[in-house]
Amino acid sequence: MNKVTTIAALASLALTGSALAQAPAGDASRGREKVQMCQGCHGIEGWRTAFPEVYHVPRIAGQHPAYFVKALQAYKSGERGHPSMRGIAASLTDQDMADLAAYYAAPAAATAGK
Amino acid sequence: MNTLITTLALGALALAAAPADARDAAAGAAKAKEVCAACHGMDGNSATPDYPKLGGQHQDYLAKALRDYKSGARKNPIMAGFAGALTRQDIDNLAAYYASQPRTVSTRY
Repeated sequence: MNKVTTIAALASLALTGSALAQAPAGDASRGREKVQMCQGCHGIEGWRTAFPEVYHVPRIAGQHPAYFVKALQAYKSGERGHPSMRGIAASLTDQDMADLAAYYAAPAAATAGK
Repeated sequence: MNTLITTLALGALALAAAPADARDAAAGAAKAKEVCAACHGMDGNSATPDYPKLGGQHQDYLAKALRDYKSGARKNPIMAGFAGALTRQDIDNLAAYYASQPRTVSTRY
């Protein structure tokens, strides 16, 4: 019985461990196909938000993918409140986020635009 | 008398408004060394994947992020502590400083 419990415990640990490790790997080329909803603001140098406060939208190309995904998740969860970004992030899966992060982190991104 | 009050009120407004508009990147650098650089790098080119690169980011976006951390509108236990200790002037100075650093982030279509 103890053995069964131990095995079950180890199995559930292994499952938890793999779930934690399973942040999906991003694919920059797939990210490129999902970028349309980002371009209208983040693809235009100098673009500013109009609501609820006016400021430049952040430059996101070249940003760390890990932070990029965290930011999108924070919008999706409501932890970050920008209305447009909340709406957009809510439509993204974990895989979409990873792909977009990979696209924007790709080396060309650091030099394109100004 | 009314004119005097108006004049005094306008004067006070002008004084109150002035410091918020003045950004001192050199003072921002000193504050950055003290508060931000350990995680975000002195030049804002953070070496840690979880911490955003700040160098060359828009000044007004950086300032807004810090104000939101300070107010709690943006929730992050680490940044709440740091931003909470900053004055409005510190925030404007820091944003000016990191915005003036070499570009680590850019616009991409």
